[in-house]
Amino acid sequence: MTNDVIEVRNLVKDYGSFRAVDDITFTVPKGKIVGFLGPNGAGKTTTIHILLGITTATAGHISFFGKDFNHHKQHILARINFASAFNTLQGRISVWENLVVFSHIYEVKGYKKKITDLIDYFEVSNMLNSLYHDLSAGQKTRVNLIKSLLNDPEILLMDEPTASLDPDIADKTLTLIEQLKKDRNLTLLYTSHNMSEITRICDEVIFLDHGKIVAHDTPLGLTKRIRSAQLRLIFNDDKKILEDYLTQENLQFTFEDEHTVTIKTEEELIPKLIFSISKTGIWMTDIEVKKPTLEDVFLQIARGDVHES
Amino acid sequence: MSMNLNRIKGILIQEFFITLRSFEVISDIIIFPGTTLILFGLLATYLAGITNITVAYSLLMGMLLWHIITIVQYSISVGSLWNIWSRNLSNMLITPISLFEYICAYTFSGILKAIIMITSSAFLIKIVFHFNIFDLGIANLGLYTFNLILFAISFGMVMLGLIFRYGTRIQAFAWGILPIVQPLTSVLYPVSVLPGPLQTIAYLMPPTYVFEALRANVLNPHIIQWNLFTISLGENIIYFALATWFFIAMFNQSKNLGQFARLEG
Repeated sequence: MTNDVIEVRNLVKDYGSFRAVDDITFTVPKGKIVGFLGPNGAGKTTTIHILLGITTATAGHISFFGKDFNHHKQHILARINFASAFNTLQGRISVWENLVVFSHIYEVKGYKKKITDLIDYFEVSNMLNSLYHDLSAGQKTRVNLIKSLLNDPEILLMDEPTASLDPDIADKTLTLIEQLKKDRNLTLLYTSHNMSEITRICDEVIFLDHGKIVAHDTPLGLTKRIRSAQLRLIFNDDKKILEDYLTQENLQFTFEDEHTVTIKTEEELIPKLIFSISKTGIWMTDIEVKKPTLEDVFLQIARGDVHES
Repeated sequence: MSMNLNRIKGILIQEFFITLRSFEVISDIIIFPGTTLILFGLLATYLAGITNITVAYSLLMGMLLWHIITIVQYSISVGSLWNIWSRNLSNMLITPISLFEYICAYTFSGILKAIIMITSSAFLIKIVFHFNIFDLGIANLGLYTFNLILFAISFGMVMLGLIFRYGTRIQAFAWGILPIVQPLTSVLYPVSVLPGPLQTIAYLMPPTYVFEALRANVLNPHIIQWNLFTISLGENIIYFALATWFFIAMFNQSKNLGQFARLEG
C-alpha cells in the first residue's frame, strides 16, 4: 500500500501560449518534508495554487490521501492548510478576531484553547487585540502560521513562510515544523529561497525550472551531483613551490595571498591531493574542504547545468 | 447541496467584526440610508401639504424599499472586496467553505443588515414624519422584500463575478451601477412617466413591478397585487438563474487564469 499523501501526475498549466507548469509528476510521502525549489517563474507558486484549488490545471491529476482532489475538494481542504509570506489575513479586524473567524470556518473544536496555545508558542499574545494591519511583516507572518495550524493539518503547504521573519523567529518556526513532523507525522510541501533552511528541514527536494522538474532527490543526493569541491589551504612555505606543483598537475587554483590558496578539484580526489602536496615539502597549517551546497546546485540548475538523472 | 452552518457563521462573524470596526460600512448601511430617508421624509411632508398624501407616502416607501436592494447587493459584493483589499481572499477560498456557503453567508449578512436598516428606518419615519410603513400590510411588505432581495442577490452575484474576474479595477461597480439602474426601475414614479423605449427596459426589471405594486397598494393596501408579484417573481427566477450561471462562469474563468493569485500579488 502506498504511503504517498500527495500524488501529482502529468500536471500541466497553460496561460494562453505560455506553459507555466510542464507535465510534472511527483509524490510526497506521509511525514516527509519536500522542498520546492527553483528560480523565480519556475512554476512553484502556480503548482501550489493548483494544489490548493485556487487555480485550475490545464491537464493532469492530483490526489491527496489517495482521493481525487476534484471530487473530494471540501474533505481534503479541511485536512490541509497553507501559509505564505505573500498573503495576509483581514487587516481591519484584530488578530484574535481573525483567528476566531478561521476557527469557525475550519470547525476547530475548543478553538479558544487552541488559539491561546499557538499564540503563546509564537509569542504574539501581546498583540492579540491589535488590528492585523498594524502588525509588522514578521508579526503578520507569525499570525499567518498560527492560522495555518488551527485545523491541525495533516499536510501543510508553505510558500516562503519565513521570508520576513527575524532569524530567531525563523529558527523557532523551523523548530516547530521539525517538532510537528516528529510528533504528528506532518507532511509539508515547502518553497523557500533560503537554501540552509531547505537543507535543514527537507527530506527531499524538487527542483523546478521553466515549469519542469529538473531534479528530485534528497538534499545530500543533489549536492553529490556536483562532483567538484574546493580545497582551501593555508601554508608556511614559499608560494612558488606550490604554484609550480599545481600548474604541473593541471589544477585550477587561486592564491588569496602569499600563504593561502583555493584549489578546485573533484571531491573524491581531495585526500590524494593533500597527500601529494605534503610530499612536496609544503607545510600546511590549515586545511578546509568546501563541499558543494544546495545553493551551488540551485545556481547550476538555474544556469541549466544539472538535469534529472 | 449540503450547507455547513459553522462555516457560514465564520463568515458572518467576520462581517460583524468588520462592520463594528469600519465607519465606511456603518455609513453605507445606516448613515447614508438614514440621511436619504430624512431628505425624502421632509420632501414627503412638504408634498403631503400641497398635494395628495399618497404621492408623498409612495416616494418615501419607494426610497426605503430601494435601500433593501442596495444593502443586500452591497453586502454580497463589497464583503468580498474587504478580503481582496486585505489580500485575504485566497485564505478564505482554500478553506473547506463551498461557493454556495460563501454566497449564502454574504446573503444572510445582507438580509440581516437590511432588516436592521428597515427596522430603524420604520421607527425614524414613524416618529419624525408620522408615516407608518406597516399601513401597506405585512403580507405586501413581505412580498416586496422577498422580490427585492432576490433581485439584489442576482445583482450582487453578477457584481461579485465581475470583481473575481477583473479584480479591483472594476470595484466601483459594487456601489456605482445601482444608481444607474434605479431610474429604470421606477422607484419614485410610475413607469408611464418614462419615455417609450425606457418603459420596455423598465418592464424587464423585476423591481419595477414591486414599485408599481407599492403605488397601487398605497391607494388600496388590502389588495395584494398578485399579477405584478408573479411577473416580478418570474423575472427574478430568470435573473437568478442567469446570475448564478454568470457567477460560476466568472469564478471558473478566474481560477483558470490564475486571477485569485494575481488579486493578491
